Amino acid sequence: MNSLLRSVPITWKNLSRRTLRTTLTVAGIAVATFLFSFVESMRDGVRRATEAGAAETRLVVYRKNRFCPFTSKLPQSYERTIQDVPGVKSAVPVKIVVNNCRASLDVVTFRGVPDEGFMEDHLQGATLRSGSLADWKLRSDAVIVGSALADRRRLRAGDRFDAAGVRTLVAGVFESLDAQDQNVAYAHLGFLQETAQRGGTGGIVTQFNVEVTDPARLEEVAAAIDERLAHDQFPTTTRPESAFVARAARDVIALVRFAGIVGWASLAAVFALIANAIALAVRDRVRDHAILQTLGWTGMDIAWMVVLEAGMLGAAGGAIGALAAYGAIAFAKLNFTTEGVSIGVTSSATVTGIGILLATALGAVAGLAPAWTASRREIVQGFRTA
Amino acid sequence: MSRFLPISYATRNLGRSRSRLALAVGGALLVSLLAMAGAGFAIGMDRALRASGLPGNVVLLGAGSEESVERSEISPANAGVIAASIPGIAVLDGRPLASPEVNVALTVVARDLPSAATSGERTGLVRGITPEAFLVHPQVRLVSGRAPEAGSGEVILGASAARGAGLDPAALARTLHDDGTGGPEVLVDTRTFRVVGTFNAPGTVMDGEAWMPLNDALVLTQRDTISAVIVTLEPGTSPSDVTDFAQRRIDLELSAIPEPAYYASQSAFYRPVRIMVLASAALVAAGALLGGLNTMYAAFASRIRELAMLQVLGFARRAVVASLLQESVISSLSGALVAVAVALFALDGIAIRFSMGTFGIRIDETVVAIGLAAGLVVGIAGCIMPAIRCLRLPLPAALKSD
Repeated sequence: MNSLLRSVPITWKNLSRRTLRTTLTVAGIAVATFLFSFVESMRDGVRRATEAGAAETRLVVYRKNRFCPFTSKLPQSYERTIQDVPGVKSAVPVKIVVNNCRASLDVVTFRGVPDEGFMEDHLQGATLRSGSLADWKLRSDAVIVGSALADRRRLRAGDRFDAAGVRTLVAGVFESLDAQDQNVAYAHLGFLQETAQRGGTGGIVTQFNVEVTDPARLEEVAAAIDERLAHDQFPTTTRPESAFVARAARDVIALVRFAGIVGWASLAAVFALIANAIALAVRDRVRDHAILQTLGWTGMDIAWMVVLEAGMLGAAGGAIGALAAYGAIAFAKLNFTTEGVSIGVTSSATVTGIGILLATALGAVAGLAPAWTASRREIVQGFRTA
Repeated sequence: MSRFLPISYATRNLGRSRSRLALAVGGALLVSLLAMAGAGFAIGMDRALRASGLPGNVVLLGAGSEESVERSEISPANAGVIAASIPGIAVLDGRPLASPEVNVALTVVARDLPSAATSGERTGLVRGITPEAFLVHPQVRLVSGRAPEAGSGEVILGASAARGAGLDPAALARTLHDDGTGGPEVLVDTRTFRVVGTFNAPGTVMDGEAWMPLNDALVLTQRDTISAVIVTLEPGTSPSDVTDFAQRRIDLELSAIPEPAYYASQSAFYRPVRIMVLASAALVAAGALLGGLNTMYAAFASRIRELAMLQVLGFARRAVVASLLQESVISSLSGALVAVAVALFALDGIAIRFSMGTFGIRIDETVVAIGLAAGLVVGIAGCIMPAIRCLRLPLPAALKSD
């Protein structure tokens, strides 16, 4: 143990003696770990939005073969038909208006929901940052806006908010952990129906959010709903909410999958950077190592010192990069939205920790080969090489 | 004395360490390739959208739907009102160039694909058209078969749309006869359509679309409204005439946008995605540059005595720096040139299906210039700082160094 610890001050001196090399290596590792952590946060967002939990109870009823809120049009009267399906606890008609169905990072999504009951239940786990639900109920054109959308568009309670051809007044801003909520503006269903119909009579919704009584019967209830409406004028496709998000956000998921390759390539870059820096350092210190061996250090001690140096470089760069990614993601509040469905990119302590640990471990592994070479060199050969 | 070292000194030095040369060339190659891939994607997407809009065309869509034609709904009767009322609409063979269209995202998939591939994941853009569409969108060229006829369950596919549907556009063009026979069947939404033609609209979003007669599209989507009317104006006619018409006829609830401006707004919509792609490429390139700098510092540090000797022989420091710069730039530009070749052969023209559209990576002269510039920056940045650091030492100390 003592021999392991005595390497620490020497290793630290070795790193601080070559300030420039250490800085460049740490900076390179930080950049690569930043990218890795960023990509992992995106993947984390996709996982959270699309992985079904055992207790999932929500289904989404959408128009069959339609992929965008503009084209999914269902009569609101289906609400009663769906309610009558055994196993259905509740069915909420939702009208969705987006400024664009395509995928990007600045999409505005309005969700029209019934005036009574829905928002009270829905906001139970959320906190109102400003405004109130009472204000929302008072005005037909009022909206309650998710925090990510509010921050992006700099909205506060009392502001006018015009987007996607819809003119509204912000009655409140709320914070929620659900990515689908962070990026939407909840409006009154009737108001959004009338606006979308340009003065028409409304009565058309985009989807129904259905709660089932038993999570185990999710698929069975979905099939029953589709079966009941299969021969109607507007046939439906009903999916668990996580599957619905996964289908709607497939372009974003494909993008994130591709970004995953960049993330792993970044880790390879960390490995290469440290391996290169350590190889250079070991070559410079052949005589130093020979002196240490003369003073009684064993080959294992030398190897440990080299691995420690590589690990310290990885840890320092990894910590800077992963923490910078954590801060950047928290600041940017990114949300990919497509077809009215959002995938949030949120900072997480787990991802940050994994980033630091991987960079450190990769550093140590990258130091193994140079460490082996350094430990095997004979003292005389070391002095001659120098 | 302002003598410079011969360039052969730099080139011969390059061969002293093959591993170091490989590292320098490889690093520059990586940085250039990443810069070109990022720029190629961003420029390709931007140009595809911009090339889709013609300066003489104006899009008339529903008021409030200016951000997306797919959201727009206007009365089909408006097409006639527009053609009759707006002065300056171009006329060909007595027909005003006003094209009523429906734009909708639906599944478009080859009927004989395995069932797993027809599960609704192959979304494509479908455009309901009249014959006028070919006149207002001259970028579209029918390359095989014929135009679809109304009520016959026929469709034509752009080259990228055919690929998206699981068909090989080249094979499709070969099998299609001039009378439209010989084409396969595709499922659009829930209905079967026969492919009677293929078209090319290279570098535009239309290349990724399926076109069918307007009425068939209305029936298929169960809608009684169209998405937009595209008009082509006579040369010299200002788009503001159309804008004025839309503002005057508030009963029609129309909004008029010059086509280039509409597609520019679509391009702006994707800007955050492009910035993210470019930022990622820049970060990876920065990481590679930092690694390269490390190597160059080590490489130059081992040559301090040699560089001092050159000064003793009468070469000024700037001459030594120039020689080191030559070495570095030659190796990095070699890497950049290889990257350009790789990009031209492997990346240029790759179609990326993203968000209901198809965009091609474009490796054009601008992107090549960006790649070469990235390689040059790697060469200069990777050399100047290490060179200055090595040449800062006083001559006696440098001559005594290890």
